[in-house]
Formats: sequence, C-alpha cells, structure tokens
Amino acid sequence: MMPRSFWVVMGKEILDNLRDRQTLFYALLFGPILLPLLLGGSLALTFKQLSIDFDIVTTVPVLHAERAPQLVEFLAGQNIDAVAAPDDPVAAVANGRVDVVLEIGENFGEQLREARPAALILYLDESDKASSRAARRMEAVFGLWEQTNNSLRLQHRGLDPTVFDTLELVRDDVSSNGADGQLLASLLPFLFIVSMTMGGFYLAIDTTAGERERRSLEPLLGLPIARRDIVFGKFGATLAFIVLSVVLCAVAVWGLFRLFPADLIGGDVRFDARTVFTGLLLVLPLAPFIAALLVTVSAWTRSVKEAQTYLGLLMVIPMAPFFVLQYISAKSELVLMPWPMLSQYLLLERSTQGLSFSPLEVGLSVAGTLAASAMFVALACLLYRRERILS
Amino acid sequence: MISCEGLAKSFRRPGAGRRAERLQAVRNVSFTAQDGEITGLLGPNGAGKSTTLRMLATLVVPDQGSASIDGHDVVREVSLARQHLGYMPHDAGIYPRLSARENIHYYARLCGLDKTTAHARTGQLIEQLTMTRFADRRAAGFSQGQKTKVALARALVHAPRTLMLDEPTNGLDVMATRGLREIIRDLAALGHCVLFSSHVMQEVSALCDRVAIIADGAIAMDDTLPEILSRTGQTDLEEAFVVALGLQSEEDA
Repeated sequence: MMPRSFWVVMGKEILDNLRDRQTLFYALLFGPILLPLLLGGSLALTFKQLSIDFDIVTTVPVLHAERAPQLVEFLAGQNIDAVAAPDDPVAAVANGRVDVVLEIGENFGEQLREARPAALILYLDESDKASSRAARRMEAVFGLWEQTNNSLRLQHRGLDPTVFDTLELVRDDVSSNGADGQLLASLLPFLFIVSMTMGGFYLAIDTTAGERERRSLEPLLGLPIARRDIVFGKFGATLAFIVLSVVLCAVAVWGLFRLFPADLIGGDVRFDARTVFTGLLLVLPLAPFIAALLVTVSAWTRSVKEAQTYLGLLMVIPMAPFFVLQYISAKSELVLMPWPMLSQYLLLERSTQGLSFSPLEVGLSVAGTLAASAMFVALACLLYRRERILS
Repeated sequence: MISCEGLAKSFRRPGAGRRAERLQAVRNVSFTAQDGEITGLLGPNGAGKSTTLRMLATLVVPDQGSASIDGHDVVREVSLARQHLGYMPHDAGIYPRLSARENIHYYARLCGLDKTTAHARTGQLIEQLTMTRFADRRAAGFSQGQKTKVALARALVHAPRTLMLDEPTNGLDVMATRGLREIIRDLAALGHCVLFSSHVMQEVSALCDRVAIIADGAIAMDDTLPEILSRTGQTDLEEAFVVALGLQSEEDA
C-alpha cells in the first residue's frame, strides 16, 4: 500500500500534464496514431508498388505493332493489350505520360524466321517506380515468350531443350516470411517502444527537470513528506502516460492493419487482434523500465533544455535493438532474454511471425526488465536525496 | 521559534570537479527568532542568507553547528521540524498550469490534510490573503504579487507556528509590498514567529522587531532595531549596517 502523498503527487502530475499540449500531443497523438500511420502506411505502400499482379489487364503503347502480330497476340494473352504509341516514345516516357513504350525492330519478323535474335526496344524510366514496375512485368512476359520459342526451336531440330540446363537450382527460403516479413515483424516492437518512450518523454522532463527549472522543487522538498514518495509519484505519473500511449498504439496498429489486404502484408506476418494483444502483454514490462529511465535521466539534469538533450540522445535506445540484432546472430537467444528492450524486440518479432517462444524466455524477459526498472528507480531516489538537486 | 548556533556550510561550485576548492557559503551563523516577533535576516547578495534559510528548512545539512525549529533539531528531527515550519523560498515556484486554489490544495493534501479539511483550509487562506479575485484562474499569467501570495498561502497551509520567507518582496510593486507587510504583521500578531531575509534596508526597518545582520557568511550583529542603532551610534539602519560590517571585518582581521 503506497502512502497517500504518493497518490497526491501522482494525481497532481497527471492533472498538470493533461493541461500541457506538448505532453498530450506526444503521448496521445504522435506515438499512438501518427507514427503507425506514417511507418505502416509507407511500408504498405512500398509493398504495393513492388508487387506485380499479372492478372490485372493493362495496356502498353507499341510502336510498329504490325511488325510482330504473334508477339502482340501473346501479350494480349498475358493481359497486356497493345495500343497506339506516341510519336516520340523517349519524350513520352521521360515526361511520365506513359509508363513504358515498346518498339518492334525493323526486321523483327525476318530475324525471327531466320532464328536470329530479334530486336525489341523497351523505353522505360528506371527512376520512376510505376515505369520500372511496368518494365519488369514486360520483361517477365518476354522471358516466358522467349523460353517457349527456344524450346520449340530446339525440339524442331530434334534436340531435348533440357540439354542446355546444366544446373537445376532450387531456392528454398526457410524463413517463413523472407526479408520483407522480417522487416514488417520488427515494425510492431519498434512502434510500441517508440510510442512508450515518446509518451513519457515530456511528462518526465516536466515533472523533474522542469520542476527544478521553475523553482517549484525547493518548497516541495521542504514539506514533511518522504522524498521517496515524491519520486514514486512522478514515476507513477510517467508510467500512467506510457501505458496509455502503448495501449492506444496497439489499438491503432490493429485498426490500421485491418485496412490492408492480408496478402499485401505477405507471408505469415500477422497483425490480428490476438497477435497485437500478445505483443502488448509482452512489451508491458518495459513500461516501468522506460518510466524509471526517463525519470532518472531528467533528475540528473539541471534544466529542461539539458534534459531534452540527454533524453534526445537516449531516444536512440528504442532503435538500438534493431541494429544490435543485425550483428548478433546468436543460435541460442536465451542469453539475450534478460536484457530490457532487446528481449521484447525478439519476442515480439517472433510473435508477429507466428513463431513460438517458451515460458522460460518470457520469464527471463520480464524478470530482467523489472530488475533493471527497480535499479533505475533506486538511482532516481538517490539523486533526489542529493543536496545538489536544489542548485 | 528558530534558534541556531554556529552554523557553517561549504559547497563545491556546481560543475566543478571533486578536487575543486570548496566555497564557504556560511561560516558562523547564530541567532534566535522569537514567536510573535518579526526577525529580519539582513545582508548583501551572496552573504549566505539563502544557505542559512535552507539549513533551517532541513534542505541542506550543516557542516557544523546546530539549529532547531520550535525545539526540533533540523538534522535529527527533520519531519517534526518541517511540520512546525512554513518555508517560502526565493522564487515563488508555483505551478503555472494549476489555479491558485489547486496550487494551495496540492500542498494541503501533501501535508496530510484530508480532502474536506484541505478544501476548507485552502478557502480560508484565499480569504485571509485576499486572493478571491484570482483564486480559480491558472497561475500562468499571475503578477509577481499574486504569485507571492499563492506561495505564502502554500507555506501557511499546514498552520505552522514558524514562518520563513526568503526575500519575499522581490519584484513586488509598492502596493503589493505594502499588502505583504500588512499580512506579515498580522501573522506576527497572531503569535507566529516570522523570519524573513532581505537586502533592502527600508524593508527591514519598516517591519522588523529584531534584525540579524549577516555578511560574508557570519552574523555581524543580532539585536532589536533600537539597540543596533545605539550600539553603532547611528540614526538610521543603513548607516548602522555599514558600521556593523566594518566592526565585523575588524574582528576578523
């Protein structure tokens, strides 16, 4: 049972900061809503641009279509209809009026009949996403046509087409979701951890460094209450904002990814209610850790500006596991489990990819994170006992 | 009642290394402030007034000497000393996003009053310090005088017998200063012991029953105003102050 002064301090800090637009913006809007929208939205858009749907009927401007009626027919069979090409194909593609233009070489029919390479020119703009995507679709279709023709030619001359295949390479990606899936899976821990940090950021600064700067700390410390209660009250208020942020973020992520078709997200990466809720539970032990870290660092600093500088640097921490995990390729991830942030990253990544984790791993993650939180809270109490906190 | 004997305190400058020379902020401070009286701690800037008050307020532990608030030692009986002391530091330090009433109510609750009592006590102080007009406005736009009143009300919220004010008239206009003097006189008349620090002579001579002159971290003279004037052979406090400082430096030499 916490003493009453703890609740009084916590209640006041929450009320005080609910009236601060900056704190509210970062706690309720930035982390929970804006960040998932920006990151998730742009990622989904990228995937949409990269993926090609061969079933969608499209048109392609073809110059001198009359020189290759067979090819044009084949293209139509692949859902690509030839249309009249602009007079200047280079300018048309460069201006972005059309994505690509196909020009049939002058002696295309002749070259084809004589079994020589037949010339095609594909005008594209590599710097333009739509153009290069259209070009890749065309190239894939040409490859198919070429392969069919090659086989026919060889069989025509009494050769088995497979004699030219010296290798038969089978690619089997054992990761369930490939590189894209990995990236998407790390999105959830990243969003959760950043929104937690941002959610508590301004409140922690305001209640400690801000209190020192506006000189309201001295009369507060002169009151007949334990300094421990003051620290715990500020810690509690920060914690409340962090939890609020991450819960809102979870709701936003769940809502956002329901808007995208499942196959767009790719592989087995899931953002359904169950996955998001499991992720939230796994990441929650980080809330006291982040609150303690923020309160301790801002108690160390002398002004709001100084606190913002140090905590700004500290903001790299939520991103650190992402980079650390690129270098550490531990077969047994058990040794990584007691580390706050790192373990939550691993567990959430696995959870979103539908991979399993053991109770021991979760236990180590929770225990390690809570122990680190306790350490930082103790450190904050020590900092508040120094006489220098007044200067 | 406040009494202190031989207080001394040194600091390292903030940011200086561990080996840096320590700054002797207070060398030897002894005086008493009685209940029902207004005692002025008079001294130039940097004389050690704020450090002395911080030691009395239990915020800083003295290197040497002892002090007590209503008989409670400021080092050994911190909690009791705090319960008997209302302390208003140099800056008002009120919360800009809370109203005057909320600022006072917060301190009332922290001092252990239950909700109903805290509410009643807050209302009573708002009345007593004539703050009704701005009591429910947020403090962000308050004048210095209004801020000082809120800070004073907070210091009084747990009805302490002893009151310590660090340069309370700083930044106040003439009318606000007169108003505050009135309040301080009323408090003394009610039997409170009031200690306030200042570097303004007129302030001290207009208000105080006793004066402790502090310079360079030590008390140069501690007496009633008429006694100080007769001991220094002067007719006004400013001249007496200069003479007292001169006497002290002769003693030191």
